[in-house]
Amino acid sequence: MHQNQMPDRCGMAPRIRPAADFVEREDGFHLYLDMPGVRREDLVVHIEDDELTINARTSHQLCNGERVHAMEFGDVEYSAQFALTDTMDKSRIAAQLANGVLVIFIPRREEQVPRRITIEVL
Amino acid sequence: MVIDFGSFYDFPHLLDRMMGEMSQPYTAGGRQVAFPPLYIGESEAAVVVRALIPGADLADVELTLTDKTLVLKGELKPAKGKYYRQERPTGPFQRVVRINMPVSAEKVRATMRDGVLEVLLPKATAERPQTIHIESR
Repeated sequence: MHQNQMPDRCGMAPRIRPAADFVEREDGFHLYLDMPGVRREDLVVHIEDDELTINARTSHQLCNGERVHAMEFGDVEYSAQFALTDTMDKSRIAAQLANGVLVIFIPRREEQVPRRITIEVL
Repeated sequence: MVIDFGSFYDFPHLLDRMMGEMSQPYTAGGRQVAFPPLYIGESEAAVVVRALIPGADLADVELTLTDKTLVLKGELKPAKGKYYRQERPTGPFQRVVRINMPVSAEKVRATMRDGVLEVLLPKATAERPQTIHIESR
């Protein structure tokens, strides 16, 4: 878990950057973000120009009248920004939220596959 | 001197946490706690244990309940591919929760939602305080 997961217990939920994995595979790039406790309707994924922005609020509904013995996490607001490069196809980005992990798939741009230039010897 | 080894006795873990803080005094904000982070709450009828295990299915987590402890065990497998950044925890994990009160083991219910595991352990009925009506003779 990300080290800033521990929140303050009063006031507004702290804003933290979720733990992220960035993985390249043959089909493109996969971005994994740990966001436990986030429901689909509370998640906002936004792409503007070359910037990918993710905002989400958790709703754990802890300590409603219970006696609390241990509290190592609480409600937070996840916030993350990522820069997209020219090698990524911004029009075909797909996002999927499952088991508290947001997976963003960014395909590689077809025409951006590095061309090999043949050099003729004169 | 009387030491109260009450329910959810967690002193060794707190000591580890303190030592960890001493070795890294400049980590601003929060600290790395054991994985997965837990929430333990107790209401009149039940004990509830919640854990943040993002990326795990209920099948990936093994729950064992003995007389005094609840053990959460599992493994998070990394994705295949070329990693440019890796911050999410991977590998096996285990946490032991001491529950020093009788719970009715057959009524324990575990659910998983949005990466949050919730284990509801209803207290054994004998443990619940029962009001005895006193009649005057």
